[in-house]
Amino acid sequence: MAGIELRALRKSYDETEVLKGVELKTEDGEYLVLVGPSGCGKSTLLRCIAGLEDITSGDLLIDNVRMNDVHPRDRNVAMVFQSYALYPHMTVRQNMGFALRVAKRPAEEIEAAVQVAAEMLDLGALLDRLPAQLSGGQRQRVAMGRAIVRRPAVFLFDEPLSNLDAALRHHMRVELKRLHRRLGATIVHVTHDQVEALTLADRILVLNQGVVQQYGTPRDLFDTPANTFVATFIGSPSMNLLPAVGAGEHSTIEGVTGRFSVAADGPYTLGVRPTDVRVGDGDVSGRVDVIESMGAEALLHIDLGGHTFMAQIKEPQPYSVGEEVSLTFDVVHRFDREQGLRLP
Amino acid sequence: MTHGAAVGRLWMLLCAVLFAALPAQADEIVLWHAYQNAEEAALQEAAAAFEQQSGHTVQLAAQPFGSYASKVETAIPRGNGPDLFIASHDKLGKWHGMGLVQPVDSVAEAHTPASVEAMRWQGSLWGRPLAYKTLLLFYDPTKITTPPRTTDEMLVLAREHTVEGSYGLAYQASEDFYHAPWVHGFGGAAYDENGEVHLDDKEHADALSFVAKLALVDKVVPQQPTGQLVAQLYGDGNAAMVISGPWFMADLDREIAAVPLPIVSETGLPARPYLTVEGVFLAAQAKHPVAAAEFADFLSGEAGARIRQATARQAVTWQGLEVDDPLLAALAEQAKTAVPMSADPGVANVFEAQSRALRAVLRGAVEVDVALEDAQEYYGILSKAPPPAVSPIPYILIIVTAAMGALAWALAPLRDPYERARWWKHRWDYLWIGPAALSLGLLVAVPFLTGAGVAFFAHSSGTWTFVGLANFTSIVFSRDWPITSPMSFFYTLAVTVLWTVTNLTLHVGIGVALALMLREPWIRLRGVWRALLIIPWAVPNYITALIWKGMFHAQYGAVNALLGVFLGQTVEFDWFASFARAFTANLVTNTWLGFPFMMVVTLGALQSIPRDLEEAAEVDGASWLFRFRHVVWPLLQPALLPAIILGSVWTFNMFNVIYLMSAGEPDGSTEILISEAYRWAFSRGNRYGYAAAYAVLIFFVLLAYSRGANRLVGKKVL
Repeated sequence: MAGIELRALRKSYDETEVLKGVELKTEDGEYLVLVGPSGCGKSTLLRCIAGLEDITSGDLLIDNVRMNDVHPRDRNVAMVFQSYALYPHMTVRQNMGFALRVAKRPAEEIEAAVQVAAEMLDLGALLDRLPAQLSGGQRQRVAMGRAIVRRPAVFLFDEPLSNLDAALRHHMRVELKRLHRRLGATIVHVTHDQVEALTLADRILVLNQGVVQQYGTPRDLFDTPANTFVATFIGSPSMNLLPAVGAGEHSTIEGVTGRFSVAADGPYTLGVRPTDVRVGDGDVSGRVDVIESMGAEALLHIDLGGHTFMAQIKEPQPYSVGEEVSLTFDVVHRFDREQGLRLP
Repeated sequence: MTHGAAVGRLWMLLCAVLFAALPAQADEIVLWHAYQNAEEAALQEAAAAFEQQSGHTVQLAAQPFGSYASKVETAIPRGNGPDLFIASHDKLGKWHGMGLVQPVDSVAEAHTPASVEAMRWQGSLWGRPLAYKTLLLFYDPTKITTPPRTTDEMLVLAREHTVEGSYGLAYQASEDFYHAPWVHGFGGAAYDENGEVHLDDKEHADALSFVAKLALVDKVVPQQPTGQLVAQLYGDGNAAMVISGPWFMADLDREIAAVPLPIVSETGLPARPYLTVEGVFLAAQAKHPVAAAEFADFLSGEAGARIRQATARQAVTWQGLEVDDPLLAALAEQAKTAVPMSADPGVANVFEAQSRALRAVLRGAVEVDVALEDAQEYYGILSKAPPPAVSPIPYILIIVTAAMGALAWALAPLRDPYERARWWKHRWDYLWIGPAALSLGLLVAVPFLTGAGVAFFAHSSGTWTFVGLANFTSIVFSRDWPITSPMSFFYTLAVTVLWTVTNLTLHVGIGVALALMLREPWIRLRGVWRALLIIPWAVPNYITALIWKGMFHAQYGAVNALLGVFLGQTVEFDWFASFARAFTANLVTNTWLGFPFMMVVTLGALQSIPRDLEEAAEVDGASWLFRFRHVVWPLLQPALLPAIILGSVWTFNMFNVIYLMSAGEPDGSTEILISEAYRWAFSRGNRYGYAAAYAVLIFFVLLAYSRGANRLVGKKVL
């Protein structure tokens, strides 16, 4: 078990800087999720930790030891690849025992470790199959098992669930949570799926264009997003952002008549989650443009002075398209207009 | 269109294609020759003059020199040959035996008697003489003012002019044709007065000792001399004297003079080179024999001779033309003493055996008397009478029975009415694939069966005798020499296997290593490297082999030059002096040719191995070697194994490299099976049957190998 610490970590390919000074410090046994859109550098960061990419500058510490120049095999990390990277010519047993075979452990020890991991992942019946004879979910479990057998200090998961269908993905999320509890090891999990991040993580690191946007617990990120990027990236459906202007005790939305009670001075960006709004009585009104019904809930797309505003309400809902509705904001977030940073 | 009509048209098309491939009837005299440049121009001039005079037309067809004889031998019996062909007389005996030529009543008396004699075989005249060729002593008049008249004088001059990088006497000392003048000069001959061959007599020993002294003691002759090397040395002013023929003068920028070869000081006899006479022969199948004979007379006669002498500087056999060219005068002088080359087909065996001794002695490997004893023994084997004829009837019975059995087996299902109905239902399908099946059969089965059939015959001087399995038993039981002799099938098979295994190991090793390197991220200009590394594969392999042959030359090769740079001294390492060296030179050359294929296959196969797998192994702690051994290599195998099997078959039969590099040297020890078969067919008395038996055995060896290999692949491939 070990914590990971990154200090001003940078990674460049020739002229292109991919990671621009990442700072991070995890607790022992933490489940850390790196999340961000495609190309934000999260996989590169993971590969830097694994040792598959050289670090351009800054420090990587695992268990308080600087690991920048340590060979991958000596970092005591195990990685699960997005493609699973199972050796196609080896059976499940051989795949799972590979790392121990590399380490020249006795055959009985390897077999025992494989058995333990196989039991944990319910792979017992598949040990003599080749990867080609397995389903996607089974392969995913074998990839996990291969990592577990090594008993590493840190697990690195690179989008491990992205190749699974929705049902299986949900199932595996639960499995991963259980697994983390049983192993107690530090896990770094890369994903572009914010739901995965919210459900799995002890703490989330949001990356965008190589820069850390926010690092905190899922609750922190959801309740107090540090900037408009995190605000829209975390939470589904994503937060409404509207240009607003404050005048003392009240504010108005640009292009919309009607004041609402948020104390501010001058222009700012108003953030309201679709779940934090009441429809029916209020000071700001708009027209229903589209209604998306999702069974238990409905998503109203409301035209608010030319801006699209989304509100999520319980079904059955009484509104129809074209109807004039007024809104009340229960929880609001304020961000500055230029930088998008959270205002107190 | 109905099925029937469509199939009918397809068959008609096939027939049309086949008939179109047959040569069109030409209503003119066709003459084949292998002349080039000035000689070809002279021929054209003479043909034009003849056309004007006679009203006939003449079509001149130049044929490549290297395959001229075999082309004549295959085309004429099949009626595809010319009316006339120009060739030197030394094949006359063989061609007469094969019935390729028509007799000539008489030729003009103006031809030199020796040239007319050369056109005679078994008492009759068979051609009209045109020109003669023989060896001369050329010298550089800027270096030598008085040419030598005796070998002693020649030796003094040669020593005087042999200094760093230049030689007193440059000639192809290891070629039998160039050795013959010394044999004759020391009083020897290919055949004694009883027509017997004694290569180990005193005269041969004296001649060989004389040449060994020139090359090994006095070192006035360059090592491993080839025609090009001699021409280059002379052209660069690095050879004071050259022994060569009239062809040497062509394309020479340097001033040159010539005299007849010197008198051998020890015996007082002149060194007498062979005389070859070029004649024009009337083909047995000539379509216009009368007109063709008329043209042959014209070409051989005074008018033709005049044109040939004037335009091509040919040494014409027609006497009475004034000669103001000193080189032609020297040639005429030399021709007086020259020994007409024997037209007996058996003489090739004498030469083959004698050049073996010559090469061995010039390599410095053996003493003269030992080499000649060996040569005599070798001649005995080469000239051994073919195995006795046996009755083909048992064989025919076996083949017919086997064929009928096979047919019965193949047609057995048709006894079943259901099968018959099914077959009938598909009759159009069979007809549709008929042309393709037939073409394939013709292209594959016929040559194969012909080749296999030849293996049951013995060929000697144009006659074929059925000998049954004698060729096979002689080879397989190594009847003529011990199993450890380089001439034995099993010795050659062992060399071939060693050759294949060492080559493939290097091809795969280097190819895979380069492919792995090429995908390393730190490699710059990847595309350029890849293209450069594929070049050896793109160059025709005989060109590569010739280049490497030059690079392995003892004195002028790049390999020894590089070694010299590293060792800081002049290196004159003879790369063809021992089995290990010659084998190494062959191996290096073929590795150069072979690794790009494996590299390309590996590059392709690596594309299909995700980098993830190696990275996973890397994170799991596997070293580079472990990753390669347990992850990359097993995944490369499905693509590489077929390539290895293919590569090993190519290497097993890599004729070009062996033939052009070591040519089997020393003493045939580096021959592989395919080149050994070639030797039996083409340089050891045309023992086609024996060679075909070799080919059949090669086929079975490879068949067994590919069966085994397929099984291996079937097991290994995922």
